[in-house]
Amino acid sequence: MIIEMKNIRKSFDGLEVLKDISFGVDSGEVVSIIGPSGSGKSTLLRCATFLETIDGGEILYMGEHAAHTDESGNAVYVSPHELRHFRSYCGLVFQQFNLFPHYSILKNIIDAPVHVQHRNIEEAKTEAMELLSKMGIADKADAYPYQLSGGQQQRVAIARALAMNPEILFFDEPTSALDPELTGEVLKVIRQLADEKMTMVVVTHEMPFAKAVSNRVIFMDGGVIVEQGDPLKVFEDPQEERTKQFLRVFER
Amino acid sequence: MTLTTMISTMAAGMLRTTGIFALTLIGSLPLGMVVALLRKSRFAPVRGIIRGFISIMRGTPLMLQLLVWYFGPYYLFGWNIGNWRFPALILGFVLNYAAYFAEIYRGGIESIPVGQYEACEVLGYTKSQTFMRVILPQVIKNIMPSVTNEVITLVKDTSLAFTLAYQEVFSLAKQISASQTSFMPFLIAGIFYFIANYLVEIIMNRIEKSMDYYK
Repeated sequence: MIIEMKNIRKSFDGLEVLKDISFGVDSGEVVSIIGPSGSGKSTLLRCATFLETIDGGEILYMGEHAAHTDESGNAVYVSPHELRHFRSYCGLVFQQFNLFPHYSILKNIIDAPVHVQHRNIEEAKTEAMELLSKMGIADKADAYPYQLSGGQQQRVAIARALAMNPEILFFDEPTSALDPELTGEVLKVIRQLADEKMTMVVVTHEMPFAKAVSNRVIFMDGGVIVEQGDPLKVFEDPQEERTKQFLRVFER
Repeated sequence: MTLTTMISTMAAGMLRTTGIFALTLIGSLPLGMVVALLRKSRFAPVRGIIRGFISIMRGTPLMLQLLVWYFGPYYLFGWNIGNWRFPALILGFVLNYAAYFAEIYRGGIESIPVGQYEACEVLGYTKSQTFMRVILPQVIKNIMPSVTNEVITLVKDTSLAFTLAYQEVFSLAKQISASQTSFMPFLIAGIFYFIANYLVEIIMNRIEKSMDYYK
């Protein structure tokens, strides 16, 4: 298992957003998380990438505890220094891209490898150019984010996350901020990564994509995992009433 | 007094004006950042003190503050500090302008979307790397117009140094005008101030342009 989350609890101002959620992702697996807004999908991702702290439960990366629960039931994290090590296992692609506007595309990608991982700058550049070619935007290396379309910016964001060589890549609704005609180019890149056996967890509203690309689909609602399994099974023959209801909306 | 003597005397005063101006900026631009960061400190008492400081600095006349810094040590504590006029002047200007710059910085820092911090966090940047590499460059670009405003105001505010009888260009203009019963010194002072601010505008425009490469 790359990541394991056990009995995760998380509340915001008394509102319980994650209610005892457990899930794990194996190496090479592509997991899609679907569900209505407010179901806790994004919060789960933000907890997995340490942007939010859990109230209770356990988070393990590569079998090591990043957070565990003490006797009183509260989550305890490892020291901030050790947490940086756990952070290096995971990458996150945001809905809003969050590129650095003052850096060129190339610098956006190499800045963290060079200044966080202390990698050789020439090596980082070579690798960044390879990633950009893979994303189909090698000609944009010297451009600035504002000069790119949303779809191109999101592909840069994916390259930036990949440049850190994470064990697992999380996507938080990667196409939700894009115009419909631009979602295809981003989904294509994710599909390509799936073919290369990159371990990924994608929170998405793109049902055809989830069905076609993922090995497993998780349906979340009201802070719990309602149903999960093989995409064909979940989409074609959902067992739970709530899943059926949710999927019906998309069929229209 | 010939016009040439008048102009050259006042040019010497303008040099002192420039001195106040430069030292105030050198002191208050960085100090303002320290104040802005303390204003957002985790510790409530620190935030409270800083808010009080900013409030007083902005809420009372700079002229009054200069008088307090100059006469305060003697009248309040009986201290006799030799050569205190110029240090008191610079202290007053630096603290006052630091308060204004701090509020400009704070506005600039708060205008940066939270996504920038989150991107840095996920990529493993330390807090100081996040601030120095990602946040600050964007803040500087955003606040340039407000900083330019403040710098132009400072050029004119240096004339308040006359309250401590410091011989900068405005004090000299008043003295010469009185002794020569001439209006000319004020006109010359006005031209000096205008030229100084014209230069400030050109320089600040250049700096703003140099950051135009991104949006």
